[in-house]
Amino acid sequence: MYLVAHIDQAICSETACRLCTQYCPEANTILYDNAAKTAFVAVDRCKGCEICVGICDDLAKHKAIKMIMITDLKSPFELSKEGFRPEKWDGTHP
Amino acid sequence: MSVKNISITPGWEKYMTKEYLDLVERGPYGKQKKVSEMGSFKEVLEEHPMCAGCAMTLFIRLTMVGLPNPEHTVLIGTAGCGRLALTQTSIPFIYGNYGDTNAVASGLKRGLEVRFKDQAKDVVVMAGDGGLADIGFSAVMHSWFRKERFTTIMLDNEVYGNTGGQESGMTERGALLKMAPKGKMFEKMDMIGLAQTSGVAYIARLTPTNPTRVASVVRKAVMIAREVGPTFIQAYTSCNIEYAIPTPKVLDDARDIEAKRYGFMEIISDEAKAYLDSIDTAKKAKK
Repeated sequence: MYLVAHIDQAICSETACRLCTQYCPEANTILYDNAAKTAFVAVDRCKGCEICVGICDDLAKHKAIKMIMITDLKSPFELSKEGFRPEKWDGTHP
Repeated sequence: MSVKNISITPGWEKYMTKEYLDLVERGPYGKQKKVSEMGSFKEVLEEHPMCAGCAMTLFIRLTMVGLPNPEHTVLIGTAGCGRLALTQTSIPFIYGNYGDTNAVASGLKRGLEVRFKDQAKDVVVMAGDGGLADIGFSAVMHSWFRKERFTTIMLDNEVYGNTGGQESGMTERGALLKMAPKGKMFEKMDMIGLAQTSGVAYIARLTPTNPTRVASVVRKAVMIAREVGPTFIQAYTSCNIEYAIPTPKVLDDARDIEAKRYGFMEIISDEAKAYLDSIDTAKKAKK
Protein backbone atom coordinates (compact mmCIF):
# COMPACT_ATOMS: atom_id res chain seq x y z
CA MET A 1 0.00 0.00 0.00
CA TYR A 2 1.07 3.55 -0.47
CA LEU A 3 0.44 7.09 0.67
CA VAL A 4 -1.50 9.70 -1.27
CA ALA A 5 -2.18 13.35 -0.53
CA HIS A 6 -5.47 14.08 1.17
CA ILE A 7 -6.95 17.57 1.50
CA ASP A 8 -9.04 18.54 4.50
CA GLN A 9 -11.88 20.30 2.72
CA ALA A 10 -13.14 22.06 5.85
CA ILE A 11 -9.84 23.95 6.13
CA CYS A 12 -9.33 24.37 2.38
CA SER A 13 -12.75 25.87 1.67
CA GLU A 14 -12.02 28.64 4.18
CA THR A 15 -9.22 29.91 1.93
CA ALA A 16 -8.86 30.56 -1.78
CA CYS A 17 -5.11 30.24 -2.17
CA ARG A 18 -5.05 27.43 -4.81
CA LEU A 19 -1.28 27.13 -4.36
CA CYS A 20 -1.25 23.32 -4.25
CA THR A 21 -2.89 23.15 -7.70
CA GLN A 22 -0.04 25.26 -9.09
CA TYR A 23 2.90 23.50 -7.44
CA CYS A 24 1.89 19.87 -8.00
CA PRO A 25 4.25 18.38 -10.62
CA GLU A 26 1.53 16.11 -11.99
CA ALA A 27 -1.00 17.51 -14.44
CA ASN A 28 -4.67 17.60 -13.35
CA THR A 29 -3.94 15.79 -10.10
CA ILE A 30 -4.92 18.38 -7.53
CA LEU A 31 -8.19 19.66 -8.93
CA TYR A 32 -10.20 22.66 -7.85
CA ASP A 33 -13.90 22.45 -7.12
CA ASN A 34 -15.27 25.91 -7.86
CA ALA A 35 -18.70 25.13 -6.36
CA ALA A 36 -17.40 24.09 -2.95
CA LYS A 37 -14.29 26.33 -3.19
CA THR A 38 -11.93 23.55 -2.28
CA ALA A 39 -9.10 21.58 -3.81
CA PHE A 40 -9.22 17.79 -3.95
CA VAL A 41 -6.93 15.02 -5.15
CA ALA A 42 -7.35 12.61 -8.05
CA VAL A 43 -5.78 9.66 -6.24
CA ASP A 44 -5.08 7.61 -9.35
CA ARG A 45 -2.63 10.28 -10.48
CA CYS A 46 -0.99 11.13 -7.16
CA LYS A 47 2.57 9.81 -6.96
CA GLY A 48 2.93 10.70 -3.29
CA CYS A 49 5.81 13.18 -3.56
CA GLU A 50 4.53 15.37 -0.70
CA ILE A 51 5.39 18.66 -2.42
CA CYS A 52 1.83 19.88 -1.81
CA VAL A 53 2.16 19.13 1.92
CA GLY A 54 5.21 21.40 2.12
CA ILE A 55 3.45 24.10 0.10
CA CYS A 56 0.31 24.02 2.24
CA ASP A 57 2.21 23.91 5.56
CA ASP A 58 5.06 26.36 4.91
CA LEU A 59 4.02 28.65 2.07
CA ALA A 60 0.24 28.92 2.52
CA LYS A 61 0.34 28.08 6.26
CA HIS A 62 -3.03 26.33 6.16
CA LYS A 63 -1.88 22.81 7.08
CA ALA A 64 -4.79 21.26 5.19
CA ILE A 65 -2.95 18.48 3.34
CA LYS A 66 -1.82 15.20 4.90
CA MET A 67 -0.48 11.98 3.45
CA ILE A 68 -2.74 9.04 4.18
CA MET A 69 -2.90 5.38 3.15
CA ILE A 70 -4.91 4.92 -0.01
CA THR A 71 -6.84 2.08 1.66
CA ASP A 72 -8.09 4.50 4.33
CA LEU A 73 -9.94 6.63 1.79
CA LYS A 74 -13.68 5.98 1.89
CA SER A 75 -14.62 7.03 -1.64
CA PRO A 76 -11.50 8.10 -3.52
CA PHE A 77 -11.85 10.27 -6.63
CA GLU A 78 -10.26 8.69 -9.69
CA LEU A 79 -9.90 10.89 -12.75
CA SER A 80 -9.56 7.93 -15.12
CA LYS A 81 -13.03 6.70 -14.05
CA GLU A 82 -14.90 9.98 -13.66
CA GLY A 83 -13.26 12.05 -16.35
CA PHE A 84 -12.59 15.77 -16.11
CA ARG A 85 -16.12 17.09 -15.45
CA PRO A 86 -15.93 20.28 -13.35
CA GLU A 87 -19.71 20.81 -13.62
CA LYS A 88 -20.27 17.61 -11.62
CA TRP A 89 -17.98 18.58 -8.76
CA ASP A 90 -20.05 19.70 -5.79
CA GLY A 91 -17.84 19.26 -2.77
CA THR A 92 -18.86 15.65 -2.21
CA HIS A 93 -15.44 14.28 -3.06
CA PRO A 94 -13.52 13.03 -0.07
CA MET B 1 -2.01 21.77 -36.13
CA SER B 2 -4.81 24.01 -35.17
CA VAL B 3 -7.89 23.89 -33.01
CA LYS B 4 -9.86 22.54 -35.97
CA ASN B 5 -7.62 19.50 -36.27
CA ILE B 6 -8.09 18.68 -32.62
CA SER B 7 -11.89 18.87 -32.61
CA ILE B 8 -13.75 15.62 -33.26
CA THR B 9 -15.68 14.90 -36.45
CA PRO B 10 -19.42 14.91 -35.57
CA GLY B 11 -20.66 11.39 -34.91
CA TRP B 12 -17.31 10.04 -33.78
CA GLU B 13 -17.44 11.35 -30.21
CA LYS B 14 -18.44 7.99 -28.71
CA TYR B 15 -15.33 6.33 -30.10
CA MET B 16 -12.91 8.81 -28.56
CA THR B 17 -11.35 8.33 -25.13
CA LYS B 18 -12.58 10.30 -22.13
CA GLU B 19 -9.29 12.17 -21.89
CA TYR B 20 -9.54 13.35 -25.48
CA LEU B 21 -13.12 14.54 -25.16
CA ASP B 22 -12.21 16.43 -21.98
CA LEU B 23 -9.29 18.05 -23.74
CA VAL B 24 -11.39 19.26 -26.65
CA GLU B 25 -14.21 20.54 -24.45
CA ARG B 26 -12.33 21.78 -21.40
CA GLY B 27 -8.82 22.30 -22.69
CA PRO B 28 -6.79 25.50 -22.83
CA TYR B 29 -7.48 26.19 -26.51
CA GLY B 30 -8.68 29.47 -27.88
CA LYS B 31 -8.28 31.45 -24.68
CA GLN B 32 -5.09 32.04 -22.73
CA LYS B 33 -5.42 30.21 -19.41
CA LYS B 34 -3.85 31.63 -16.28
CA VAL B 35 -1.73 29.79 -13.74
CA SER B 36 -4.31 30.66 -11.08
CA GLU B 37 -6.91 28.67 -13.04
CA MET B 38 -4.90 25.44 -12.86
CA GLY B 39 -7.01 22.58 -11.53
CA SER B 40 -10.10 23.99 -13.25
CA PHE B 41 -9.22 23.24 -16.87
CA LYS B 42 -7.93 20.15 -18.63
CA GLU B 43 -4.21 20.54 -19.23
CA VAL B 44 -2.45 19.57 -22.43
CA LEU B 45 -0.06 17.46 -20.37
CA GLU B 46 -1.38 13.99 -19.53
CA GLU B 47 -0.13 11.35 -17.12
CA HIS B 48 3.55 10.67 -17.67
CA PRO B 49 6.24 8.33 -16.39
CA MET B 50 8.58 10.88 -14.79
CA CYS B 51 9.73 10.38 -11.18
CA ALA B 52 7.55 11.49 -8.26
CA GLY B 53 8.27 15.04 -7.13
CA CYS B 54 10.47 15.93 -10.12
CA ALA B 55 11.02 19.67 -10.42
CA MET B 56 11.46 19.27 -14.17
CA THR B 57 7.91 17.94 -14.44
CA LEU B 58 6.62 20.93 -12.53
CA PHE B 59 8.48 23.24 -14.89
CA ILE B 60 7.16 21.43 -17.98
CA ARG B 61 3.61 21.57 -16.63
CA LEU B 62 3.89 25.31 -16.06
CA THR B 63 5.48 25.80 -19.48
CA MET B 64 2.48 24.14 -21.12
CA VAL B 65 0.21 26.65 -19.35
CA GLY B 66 2.45 29.50 -20.48
CA LEU B 67 2.39 28.63 -24.19
CA PRO B 68 0.36 31.35 -25.94
CA ASN B 69 -1.11 29.01 -28.60
CA PRO B 70 -0.67 25.33 -27.79
CA GLU B 71 -2.60 24.39 -30.93
CA HIS B 72 -0.09 26.24 -33.11
CA THR B 73 3.03 24.98 -31.35
CA VAL B 74 5.50 22.24 -32.22
CA LEU B 75 7.80 20.90 -29.53
CA ILE B 76 11.22 19.51 -30.26
CA GLY B 77 13.18 17.50 -27.76
CA THR B 78 15.79 14.83 -27.58
CA ALA B 79 16.89 11.93 -25.40
CA GLY B 80 16.72 12.85 -21.74
CA CYS B 81 14.21 13.02 -18.93
CA GLY B 82 12.17 15.88 -20.34
CA ARG B 83 10.88 13.99 -23.35
CA LEU B 84 9.15 11.48 -21.06
CA ALA B 85 6.62 14.20 -20.20
CA LEU B 86 6.84 16.16 -23.47
CA THR B 87 5.69 13.13 -25.45
CA GLN B 88 2.58 12.93 -23.24
CA THR B 89 1.31 16.36 -24.29
CA SER B 90 -1.30 16.95 -26.96
CA ILE B 91 1.21 19.08 -28.84
CA PRO B 92 3.10 17.72 -31.85
CA PHE B 93 6.49 16.53 -30.61
CA ILE B 94 9.54 15.84 -32.74
CA TYR B 95 12.12 13.54 -31.21
CA GLY B 96 15.33 15.02 -32.56
CA ASN B 97 18.51 13.01 -32.52
CA TYR B 98 21.01 13.98 -29.90
CA GLY B 99 22.79 17.06 -31.12
CA ASP B 100 20.45 18.24 -33.85
CA THR B 101 17.45 19.66 -31.97
CA ASN B 102 18.14 23.26 -32.92
CA ALA B 103 19.04 22.35 -36.49
CA VAL B 104 15.71 20.50 -36.84
CA ALA B 105 13.91 23.48 -35.28
CA SER B 106 15.57 25.90 -37.71
CA GLY B 107 14.39 23.97 -40.75
CA LEU B 108 10.95 23.39 -39.28
CA LYS B 109 10.37 27.03 -38.45
CA ARG B 110 11.44 28.13 -41.92
CA GLY B 111 9.22 25.49 -43.48
CA LEU B 112 6.22 26.49 -41.38
CA GLU B 113 6.70 30.12 -42.36
CA VAL B 114 6.53 29.14 -46.04
CA ARG B 115 3.59 26.75 -45.61
CA PHE B 116 1.46 28.87 -43.23
CA LYS B 117 2.02 32.45 -44.31
CA ASP B 118 -1.10 33.74 -42.54
CA GLN B 119 -0.65 31.87 -39.24
CA ALA B 120 1.91 32.30 -36.50
CA LYS B 121 3.43 28.91 -35.72
CA ASP B 122 5.62 28.56 -32.67
CA VAL B 123 8.54 26.18 -32.47
CA VAL B 124 9.87 25.40 -29.00
CA VAL B 125 12.95 23.33 -28.31
CA MET B 126 12.89 21.79 -24.86
CA ALA B 127 15.82 19.61 -23.92
CA GLY B 128 18.15 18.99 -21.04
CA ASP B 129 21.51 20.50 -20.25
CA GLY B 130 23.23 17.54 -21.90
CA GLY B 131 21.16 17.81 -25.07
CA LEU B 132 21.73 21.55 -25.48
CA ALA B 133 24.99 22.53 -23.78
CA ASP B 134 27.09 19.41 -24.44
CA ILE B 135 25.98 17.29 -27.36
CA GLY B 136 23.77 19.83 -29.12
CA PHE B 137 26.09 22.74 -28.39
CA SER B 138 27.18 23.60 -31.93
CA ALA B 139 23.64 23.44 -33.33
CA VAL B 140 22.40 25.64 -30.49
CA MET B 141 25.12 28.25 -31.03
CA HIS B 142 24.69 28.29 -34.79
CA SER B 143 20.92 28.67 -34.58
CA TRP B 144 21.52 31.69 -32.35
CA PHE B 145 24.12 33.19 -34.66
CA ARG B 146 21.75 32.75 -37.61
CA LYS B 147 19.01 34.48 -35.55
CA GLU B 148 16.55 31.64 -36.11
CA ARG B 149 13.16 32.59 -34.72
CA PHE B 150 12.29 29.94 -32.16
CA THR B 151 12.52 29.41 -28.41
CA THR B 152 15.15 27.22 -26.78
CA ILE B 153 14.34 26.07 -23.25
CA MET B 154 17.05 24.34 -21.29
CA LEU B 155 15.87 22.04 -18.50
CA ASP B 156 19.04 22.38 -16.48
CA ASN B 157 19.18 19.57 -13.92
CA GLU B 158 22.99 19.82 -13.84
CA VAL B 159 23.52 16.11 -14.48
CA TYR B 160 22.81 13.32 -16.98
CA GLY B 161 19.96 12.07 -14.85
CA ASN B 162 18.56 9.54 -17.31
CA THR B 163 21.77 7.52 -17.66
CA GLY B 164 22.96 7.23 -14.09
CA GLY B 165 24.55 10.52 -13.02
CA GLN B 166 27.39 11.53 -15.31
CA GLU B 167 28.61 15.13 -15.05
CA SER B 168 27.52 17.52 -17.77
CA GLY B 169 28.89 20.86 -18.88
CA MET B 170 26.27 22.52 -16.71
CA THR B 171 27.21 20.66 -13.51
CA GLU B 172 28.63 22.88 -10.77
CA ARG B 173 32.35 22.61 -10.10
CA GLY B 174 33.05 20.12 -7.28
CA ALA B 175 29.67 18.36 -7.51
CA LEU B 176 29.96 14.71 -6.43
CA LEU B 177 27.98 12.34 -8.59
CA LYS B 178 27.78 8.57 -9.05
CA MET B 179 29.78 8.75 -12.27
CA ALA B 180 31.92 11.69 -11.11
CA PRO B 181 33.20 10.30 -7.80
CA LYS B 182 36.06 12.79 -7.47
CA GLY B 183 33.78 15.75 -8.08
CA LYS B 184 33.56 17.78 -11.24
CA MET B 185 36.84 19.51 -11.98
CA PHE B 186 35.63 22.26 -14.31
CA GLU B 187 33.41 25.30 -14.03
CA LYS B 188 29.72 25.34 -15.01
CA MET B 189 29.30 26.58 -18.56
CA ASP B 190 28.05 30.13 -18.85
CA MET B 191 25.24 29.62 -21.34
CA ILE B 192 23.65 32.95 -20.45
CA GLY B 193 26.89 34.73 -21.37
CA LEU B 194 27.15 32.77 -24.61
CA ALA B 195 23.56 33.62 -25.49
CA GLN B 196 24.27 37.29 -24.87
CA THR B 197 27.37 37.20 -27.05
CA SER B 198 25.53 35.54 -29.91
CA GLY B 199 22.78 38.18 -29.81
CA VAL B 200 19.79 36.25 -28.46
CA ALA B 201 16.82 38.64 -28.24
CA TYR B 202 15.45 37.43 -24.91
CA ILE B 203 17.33 35.49 -22.24
CA ALA B 204 15.88 34.36 -18.92
CA ARG B 205 17.21 32.31 -16.05
CA LEU B 206 14.79 31.01 -13.44
CA THR B 207 13.72 28.23 -11.10
CA PRO B 208 10.19 26.82 -10.79
CA THR B 209 9.63 28.45 -7.39
CA ASN B 210 7.18 30.98 -8.81
CA PRO B 211 4.59 29.35 -11.14
CA THR B 212 3.16 32.64 -12.44
CA ARG B 213 6.61 33.86 -13.36
CA VAL B 214 7.46 30.66 -15.24
CA ALA B 215 4.32 30.94 -17.34
CA SER B 216 4.84 34.64 -18.09
CA VAL B 217 8.51 34.15 -19.02
CA VAL B 218 7.60 31.32 -21.41
CA ARG B 219 4.85 33.44 -22.94
CA LYS B 220 7.20 36.37 -23.48
CA ALA B 221 9.92 34.13 -24.94
CA VAL B 222 7.53 32.48 -27.42
CA MET B 223 5.99 35.80 -28.47
CA ILE B 224 9.39 37.41 -29.04
CA ALA B 225 10.59 34.37 -30.99
CA ARG B 226 7.62 34.81 -33.33
CA GLU B 227 8.69 38.23 -34.57
CA VAL B 228 12.08 39.31 -33.31
CA GLY B 229 14.67 36.57 -32.97
CA PRO B 230 15.95 33.61 -30.96
CA THR B 231 15.04 33.36 -27.28
CA PHE B 232 16.59 31.28 -24.53
CA ILE B 233 15.30 30.17 -21.14
CA GLN B 234 17.58 28.40 -18.71
CA ALA B 235 15.63 26.76 -15.90
CA TYR B 236 16.97 25.03 -12.82
CA THR B 237 15.02 21.78 -12.55
CA SER B 238 16.83 19.71 -9.93
CA CYS B 239 17.24 15.95 -10.29
CA ASN B 240 16.04 14.66 -6.94
CA ILE B 241 17.33 11.15 -7.71
CA GLU B 242 20.94 11.93 -8.67
CA TYR B 243 21.32 14.75 -6.14
CA ALA B 244 19.50 12.72 -3.45
CA ILE B 245 16.94 15.39 -2.56
CA PRO B 246 13.97 13.95 -0.62
CA THR B 247 10.83 14.78 -2.64
CA PRO B 248 9.17 16.96 0.04
CA LYS B 249 12.35 19.10 -0.02
CA VAL B 250 12.52 19.61 -3.80
CA LEU B 251 11.09 23.12 -3.72
CA ASP B 252 13.11 24.06 -0.63
CA ASP B 253 16.22 23.08 -2.59
CA ALA B 254 15.04 25.13 -5.58
CA ARG B 255 14.56 28.14 -3.29
CA ASP B 256 18.02 27.61 -1.76
CA ILE B 257 19.75 27.38 -5.12
CA GLU B 258 17.75 30.38 -6.36
CA ALA B 259 19.01 32.44 -3.43
CA LYS B 260 22.61 31.28 -3.80
CA ARG B 261 23.39 31.26 -7.50
CA TYR B 262 20.33 30.87 -9.71
CA GLY B 263 18.39 34.08 -9.11
CA PHE B 264 15.79 35.26 -11.61
CA MET B 265 17.44 37.11 -14.46
CA GLU B 266 16.03 38.54 -17.65
CA ILE B 267 18.02 40.09 -20.48
CA ILE B 268 15.91 41.61 -23.21
CA SER B 269 17.01 43.44 -26.34
CA ASP B 270 15.62 46.88 -27.19
CA GLU B 271 13.86 45.53 -30.27
CA ALA B 272 12.21 42.75 -28.26
CA LYS B 273 11.17 45.21 -25.56
CA ALA B 274 9.60 47.49 -28.15
CA TYR B 275 7.72 44.50 -29.61
CA LEU B 276 6.35 43.45 -26.19
CA ASP B 277 5.28 47.03 -25.51
CA SER B 278 3.50 47.17 -28.86
CA ILE B 279 1.56 43.98 -27.94
CA ASP B 280 0.58 45.52 -24.60
CA THR B 281 -0.63 48.74 -26.22
CA ALA B 282 -2.64 46.78 -28.78
CA LYS B 283 -4.26 44.77 -25.95
CA LYS B 284 -5.16 47.89 -24.02
CA ALA B 285 -6.57 49.55 -27.12
CA LYS B 286 -8.84 46.51 -27.64
CA LYS B 287 -10.26 46.86 -24.15
